[in-house]
Amino acid sequence: QHKQISGVSSGCQQGGCLTCSDYNGCLSCKPRFFMHLERIGMKQIGVCMTSCPPGFYGTRSPERNTCTKCRLECDSCFNKNFCTRCRAGFYLHLGKCQENCPEGLVRSDTQRECV
Amino acid sequence: ICLWCFLRPGAAGQGQSTAVCSPSCSCDEDGGADCSGKGLTIVPTGLSAFTYYLDLSMNNITELPAYVFKNLPYLEELRLAGNDLSFIHPEALSGLHQLKVLMLQNNQLRTVPSAALKNLHSLQSLRLDANHITTVPDDSFEGLQQLRHLWLDDNNLTVVPISSLRHQANLQALTLALNRISYIPDNAFANLTSLVVLHLHNNRIKVIEDNCFTGLLNLETLDLNFNNLMVFPKAIETLPKLKELGFHSNDIASIPEGAFHNNPLLRSIHLYDNPLAFVGASAFQNLSDLHSLMLRGASMMQDFPILTWTNNLESLTLSGTKVSSIPADLCEDLKLLRTLDLSYNEIAGLPSLQGCVQLQEISFQHNHIQQIKRDTFQGLSTLRLLDLSRNEIQVIHRDAFLTLTALTNLDLSMNSLTVIPTIGLSSLSQLKLSGNPQMKNVLTAKNLPKLRSISVPYAYQCCAFVACDSTSSSEDNDVKKSTGEDVERISMIMHCSPSPGAFKPCEHLLGNWMIR
Repeated sequence: QHKQISGVSSGCQQGGCLTCSDYNGCLSCKPRFFMHLERIGMKQIGVCMTSCPPGFYGTRSPERNTCTKCRLECDSCFNKNFCTRCRAGFYLHLGKCQENCPEGLVRSDTQRECV
Repeated sequence: ICLWCFLRPGAAGQGQSTAVCSPSCSCDEDGGADCSGKGLTIVPTGLSAFTYYLDLSMNNITELPAYVFKNLPYLEELRLAGNDLSFIHPEALSGLHQLKVLMLQNNQLRTVPSAALKNLHSLQSLRLDANHITTVPDDSFEGLQQLRHLWLDDNNLTVVPISSLRHQANLQALTLALNRISYIPDNAFANLTSLVVLHLHNNRIKVIEDNCFTGLLNLETLDLNFNNLMVFPKAIETLPKLKELGFHSNDIASIPEGAFHNNPLLRSIHLYDNPLAFVGASAFQNLSDLHSLMLRGASMMQDFPILTWTNNLESLTLSGTKVSSIPADLCEDLKLLRTLDLSYNEIAGLPSLQGCVQLQEISFQHNHIQQIKRDTFQGLSTLRLLDLSRNEIQVIHRDAFLTLTALTNLDLSMNSLTVIPTIGLSSLSQLKLSGNPQMKNVLTAKNLPKLRSISVPYAYQCCAFVACDSTSSSEDNDVKKSTGEDVERISMIMHCSPSPGAFKPCEHLLGNWMIR
């Protein structure tokens, strides 16, 4: 049963929700919020956020704002082709997460970057 | 030895100090403090001096006073998204020398708080998206020598903030999407030599100067989708490393000859939803990294695009044009092609597609093809779908389908066929023959062991595929007896249309519609 957000019920504790249901959380978001589907067991819970969770990037458009998965080797990214932080074992250079660094640069394990 | 590392709990994995925290927040041992969504109107006090991550998003903080973070010198990430921030004191962020990530999106800012940003010398990521920014002061990002990622999308900018970006040689990713920019002048991004990604989608860009992207030597992704461009963006000629290009949903009517001759690394070009009338035949040659090309509705286009050295194409769609022939050597270049859609053109004849050995789907629907030769589809052992409907095909060579061992769907409807060869169609599950009025002979399922669905020109032809009523003529019965083992298998055929019935009887009385 869909609830407008004026009275927040148990399933929709977040501020970005526009419509929500107890079972599936947010069904739609307020303008300028990102809709992200979190999987909890068999359930999918809609969450409205100001920025996508780690491992996802946000795409804004006039109709809706969505979260999309980054590449596997990225912990965080700007878009599907540009990483901003790498997973362990990968090193960042100009938006790419690679296992090796270009000539002239060395791997920094603390920053996971080519420096 | 870094003494500070040992003092910072968790980061060096040594020293157990109970996490100092504010009542409004939850803090972890590593120096992270989550105070998000607590209805706070001011920044909480009492946080550990070693806090390196502070999330204050989704509260009701409207202002940041001076020195409000002065006790957090080790802060690396500060999240203030989703508050009602409309003013940031010039000294509000003083002391945050190690800050790398600052999130100010979803607030009420009308201009970039340039004074407050001035001394954030370590800042790498700055989010200012989803505010109400109309102006970007020239000195906005002056002190930010390490800035790499800048979000200014979903604001009210009407021009590219050229001056404020002029010194950002380290900037790698920039989005100005969802603003009101209508024009891009020459040298708009001149010194952004490290820029890899530039998003300009969902603006009102009508005109871009030929040298507006000059200087972007490392740009790989350019997104111009959903704008008002009427002329092909010739300015991309200055982007030698471009890989992803999008200008779909604009008002571009033609793509010139040699359009992408300076962009040899292109992997994807999204150009749909443009009123394309003409496409230069040489536009897409020498693009050896291009995987997919989709051209629809270029109604004035007459020549098949030259695709020499565009030899990694996996999907080619060219439909709705005046193209009337396919180059005979098409498959010498396109050995990796998997889907070929040349529907709705004016193609009269087909060359041999023998070299395109990885083809899985072909559509030549709605052309002027009249015959299928022996070698047209020879060797296409991975072909699954073949749509030849709505042509003028009269003759198909006996061995035309001989090697199509993986074909499951064949559509020959709406042609001028009298007979079809079935040798080689051992995997066929769906066959469409309706709309071939000259095809009156009784069909047999002999070479079609896996057939599950068939549409035929006349109902009586279904009698060979589905159980008919007892009144079927002796001639039909002979057919059933002679193909004994076929009878059980035939009954497994799920669907044949038009199905026979009282007014479309099975018997074939003198072949005269009137009598039936």
